[in-house]
Amino acid sequence: MELPELHQIAEKERASQKPIRLRICVAAGCQSSGSLAVKKKLEDTVKEAGLSDKVQVVGVGCLKMCSQGPLVQADPTQTLYAKVDETQAAGLVGAVNGGHCHCATVDPNDPFLAHQFSIVLENSGLIDPERIESYIAAEGYEGLYHVLREKTPTEIVETVIKSGLRGRGGAGYPTGLKWALVAKMQSPRKFVVCNADEGDPGAFMDRSVLESDPHRILEGMAIAGYAIGATQGYIYVRGEYPLAIKRLQGAIRQAKRLGMLGGHIFESPFDFNIDLRIGAGAFVCGEETALMASIEGRRGQPRPRPPFPAESGLWGQPTLINNVETFANIPTLIRKGADWFSAIGTEKSKGTKVFALAGKITNTGLIEVPMGTTLRRIVEEMGGGVENGGTVKAVQTGGPSGGCIPADKLDTPVDYESLAAIGSIMGSGGMIVMDQSTNMVDVARFFMEFCMDESCGKCAPCRAGTVQMYRLLSKIREGRGTQQDIDMLNGLCDLLRNTSLCGLGQTAPNPTLSTLRYFRHEYEQLLTDSTVNGQLPKHPANTT
Amino acid sequence: MAWIAENRRDPQVKTSDTPYLTDALKAVLRDRYFPRYPTKRAVLLPALHLIQHTYDWIPTQALQEVAEFLEIAPAEALDTATFYEEYWLKPKGKYLIGVCRSLACELCQSAKLTDTVRRKLGIEVGQTTTDGRFTLIEMECLGSCGSAPVALTNEVLQENLTPEKLEKLIDSLPADPHDFKDPGITWPEDDKH
Repeated sequence: MELPELHQIAEKERASQKPIRLRICVAAGCQSSGSLAVKKKLEDTVKEAGLSDKVQVVGVGCLKMCSQGPLVQADPTQTLYAKVDETQAAGLVGAVNGGHCHCATVDPNDPFLAHQFSIVLENSGLIDPERIESYIAAEGYEGLYHVLREKTPTEIVETVIKSGLRGRGGAGYPTGLKWALVAKMQSPRKFVVCNADEGDPGAFMDRSVLESDPHRILEGMAIAGYAIGATQGYIYVRGEYPLAIKRLQGAIRQAKRLGMLGGHIFESPFDFNIDLRIGAGAFVCGEETALMASIEGRRGQPRPRPPFPAESGLWGQPTLINNVETFANIPTLIRKGADWFSAIGTEKSKGTKVFALAGKITNTGLIEVPMGTTLRRIVEEMGGGVENGGTVKAVQTGGPSGGCIPADKLDTPVDYESLAAIGSIMGSGGMIVMDQSTNMVDVARFFMEFCMDESCGKCAPCRAGTVQMYRLLSKIREGRGTQQDIDMLNGLCDLLRNTSLCGLGQTAPNPTLSTLRYFRHEYEQLLTDSTVNGQLPKHPANTT
Repeated sequence: MAWIAENRRDPQVKTSDTPYLTDALKAVLRDRYFPRYPTKRAVLLPALHLIQHTYDWIPTQALQEVAEFLEIAPAEALDTATFYEEYWLKPKGKYLIGVCRSLACELCQSAKLTDTVRRKLGIEVGQTTTDGRFTLIEMECLGSCGSAPVALTNEVLQENLTPEKLEKLIDSLPADPHDFKDPGITWPEDDKH
């Protein structure tokens, strides 16, 4: 395919759009509040009113403000209607056609929307995720075209290095350097792997990207494949995400049909295929060496590094593994350039980060903000604070590998270094807000139970250590703990952190450590031998 | 805990004269999956998914047949299969109801959902109703924390659930689980990848 043909597809798609478009969210959150029935009703209403030439109803991906669903956004006015139900359909169609209705709308200046800066989610809620033409009309695959026809692989790697993009899976390794490492390896076969095994409790950014804009991932991976010299890509996606799996399957099929994947892409010598690999319910497979073992058909257990996947990955060949959100940044980064990208964010953390807001917060949903935005802005301004007027006690970031950040640290900017400095991590982007009713020992125990369940059992520190830590936390929570138990907990935290084989065990102590650091009094109140304020503590052993 | 050697297998090794891995299934593996990977062993997980998709679970005999077809030892196939929680090595119900038990859902009272199913169907977590229709499990984060609490029934996600909504859903499930599909997926069946 040549550029004019690509433009032709885009033009045809744009020309087929009616002057007024009602984009209704059919992503997960809105669907459950009945958006499909509303969509049907809107379509019927348009037909009955004889407005089919003028008004069009389109199902789109996530419109982000999940707590206000079902959401409908009207073009060209951009009005966002909230909590639309079937009875309002007629009024809404009337309203976009010059009438009035009493439907609730979201103020475009609402901080939740106004502070967003979209790169990864730029198409989310705008395009139809099930049609490649819709992605092409949003300049999709144009970046890939220019890369294959006008740039050398080295130029692409340099662009990514220059952009300052860092891995969005949590650890924050510079993406460009990783690409450069794989690119310089001499090998007849190399692989690109997209880690879509999103499993952190509280994280749902990757799922949303896969469901709302699947072609973005394919394009990002194809660009990576060209840059490092690979011809085969795999997307390792969780079995628990059936909608994402189906959207990806459809997207791969469409891309192959139009020649964006397969042999001689855009009439260039470059061949690239992507296959989907479905996981089978093992959290540890999100760890890169475990993920590769799983693709090879073995138990998903990690192995020591080095050698790193860049040197010896799948079947011993150089392999590039990046997270969904990292690949999702690539098409836009390539289209707009490294300078544009590196102007966003902080000195060491460039670009944006997508966070999934959940827990006791008014506006749950997805937000994408420039790196360096403060937690306070995210939680209090955008998230609207704790629901029903409560106060924030802590924010959990980074899931079972992250920590609990207390309310007085909310002015911390979100970037890799700042979050690490206060005992948490950027992680994949889950953010669970907790109010005063949450017991922090419970939170630590919850995450320890998770790590205990998900430990693969290969190394002793993680296998036995997580069990012991879980038992100690349970003992303390049930009011049977002593000061000595806290000391033992601390000792085990050190042990796991320093001696576990992979990231799962090394970071498993983080939730415990951070709650011990900031909420130690909650632990001490529960001890049998504690003397908080010279009083016997109120623990179950004393009250019964 | 993947490392605990609990007996997740059907204790009765029933043998069947007709193979589980039929020629048609072999053709799918050979034509669709072999070209994707440099080794046959890499096809083990997709093969197990395929068996489970076809028979709802993975009988021991099927495991042996898959091992033979992929030219690996049966013990290796068993070793891999027991590691992953999603593989059912003993029969499960036609409908697998998975209530998310992760933190965001827990904060939003997911325990009430599990209790509802427990009471309504008279089964504990991990058990199957005697008529073989329902199995109840708890799942790790389903990635819909913004609309917690949620549950996954076969391949359909239900969000913002209440005990009442869940009861209604259970009552309304069609007799044939193949008729129960995600309404959000619009492409036709024969158009699959």
